[in-house]
Amino acid sequence: MVNVIFNKVQKAFGSVVAIPDLNLEIGSGEFVSLLGPSGCGKTTTLRMLAGLEQPTGGEIRIGERAVNNVAPGERDIAMVFQSYALYPHMTVGQNIAYPLKKRGVPKSEHPARIKAVADLLQLGPLLERRPKQLSGGQQQRVALGRALVRDPKVFLLDEPLSNLDAKLRAHMRTELIELHRRLGKTMVYVTHDQLEAMTMSTRIAVMHQGHLQQFATPSEIYNRPANTFVASFIGTPSMTLVEAEIEMAEGAAFLLVGGQRFPLPPSLVMADSRHRRPITLGVRPEDISIASGEAARASVKLVEPTGHESIVTLDLGGAHFVMRAAGDVALRLGEAVPIALRIDRLHFFDRESGQRINTDAERPAEFRSIAR
Amino acid sequence: MTSRLSTVILNIVTWTLVAVIAFPLVWMVLTSLKPQSELFTIPPGFLPREVTFEHYRILLTDTPFLRYFVNSAILATSTTLLVVTVGALGAYSLVRFRYRGRETLAGLVLFTYLLPSVVLIIPLYLMMVKIGLSNTLASLVIAYTTFSLPYALWLLRSFMAGIPEDLESAALVDGASRMGAFFDVILPQALPGIISTALFTFILAWNEYLYALVLVNSDQSRPLTTGVMNMLITAFNIDWSLLMAASVMMSIPLIIIFAFLQSYLTRGFGAGGVKG
Repeated sequence: MVNVIFNKVQKAFGSVVAIPDLNLEIGSGEFVSLLGPSGCGKTTTLRMLAGLEQPTGGEIRIGERAVNNVAPGERDIAMVFQSYALYPHMTVGQNIAYPLKKRGVPKSEHPARIKAVADLLQLGPLLERRPKQLSGGQQQRVALGRALVRDPKVFLLDEPLSNLDAKLRAHMRTELIELHRRLGKTMVYVTHDQLEAMTMSTRIAVMHQGHLQQFATPSEIYNRPANTFVASFIGTPSMTLVEAEIEMAEGAAFLLVGGQRFPLPPSLVMADSRHRRPITLGVRPEDISIASGEAARASVKLVEPTGHESIVTLDLGGAHFVMRAAGDVALRLGEAVPIALRIDRLHFFDRESGQRINTDAERPAEFRSIAR
Repeated sequence: MTSRLSTVILNIVTWTLVAVIAFPLVWMVLTSLKPQSELFTIPPGFLPREVTFEHYRILLTDTPFLRYFVNSAILATSTTLLVVTVGALGAYSLVRFRYRGRETLAGLVLFTYLLPSVVLIIPLYLMMVKIGLSNTLASLVIAYTTFSLPYALWLLRSFMAGIPEDLESAALVDGASRMGAFFDVILPQALPGIISTALFTFILAWNEYLYALVLVNSDQSRPLTTGVMNMLITAFNIDWSLLMAASVMMSIPLIIIFAFLQSYLTRGFGAGGVKG
């Protein structure tokens, strides 16, 4: 098992800079997802790690070894491609044997190793077939088999599930998690699907326009997004982001949003009262709810029932919030309902830079920075 | 009713075309089997009254026909090998590598193809004399390569552009070198294109006349086209029986190759046409 380090890595295609400056350290045996919208540089990052693209600056290390000038075949990695990239003119067995053949593994060892992989992935009956005679899921497993057969140090997976239907994708997700648990290998997984990243990864690297936005565990990414991009990208439905202000007055702190004033916990009160700071407020759909009794009122704009829950859009003085409510919630359009915010779960971002400026309640020290 | 009528008309037109195209070939075969005395009877007989293989025997035993045949075979095979090798590697480079002037280069290659080949004969001849290759088969191989290669590059380029880059990346990650990936993955995928190119080049080199006439005039190095012409057609006489027998034997290799590779050929031209 080895770690992978990107140290000040840059990549430009002509005058187009795809990755301006990437620093990332993937621990040994980790399952790290590179997550982001298309064009964010995640596949370029993976291809640089594979040796299929040459970085224009910086250094990539696999374990102790700097690999910038090492050919893909000598990096001791295996890769699964989005298109599976199975060799169409070879049978499944030949496809799986190809990396062994190319690395000079003695021919006498091939059958046993192919059988081991075929057993693991239930490919036994398919070994004599050609790729085009297989279903998408089977092709996927062959691609995995070709990666597994050689026992590489690092596995690279480039959106391997994106061509599968939803049911098969869920199944393969659990299989991949199981595989990682069993092999304990370092895996780097590229995806634009946050569900895949959240369920499978030990850590997620969220990327946007070539920049690493946040590199943390799935729960950290969800609960403490580093900036508005991560906040809005992760979570379905996505986090509501609205303009708001934080006011310090008479020894207490208040959140001003949609013409309403919400008191913030006393622990956040600063000595320097009488201070207003414009912020972007982030609220997850589950952190806003219908209050009992007297509270600020928001009008119902839209109700989207999905069965087990309803997604409700609320208008609070012009600010639109998305709320997750029970599937059988009875709300009429235009109805004014009292709402409550989970104050301890709110996210505050700097209005200009978009960077997170609060932390969770258990770490109030950083939160004080809002009243600089 | 109208659709049936149009089918009938279409069939008549098609079969007429086939007959018009096939008649000279059939006539060639029949003539080669007729004794000399039957050739100029009036009215001409379609089927030979008496079948003879005498002309074939004379050609094979009493004339340098076999030497010309071997020359042509060497010439066409080496041209084909050279064009396919250079064409495949060149097309691969044009498709896969990014370098300055790549598109310009591809355009220029096509431009050379637009030049009438007659224009190049004299300069090529003088060059061959200078480098001491005049009167050799090698000079013809070089000449044919110059006008087959642009076509080969363009056909193979469109073929290779259709091969997913991921396949090659996978081979590289699996431990293959660039050339290894090219041979293991790219070539098998480009096979229909390569066969089309090879056939095209082979036929061209086998049938070419003008360059062979200008660049080679020693009997040792003549290919079939000029050899047969030189041997059987003089200012005073055309030996029709032998000429027809020679023509039949010249066609046989092409017919055999076509029969085996026909499906590849149509696939190749189809794919090249759509993508190119």
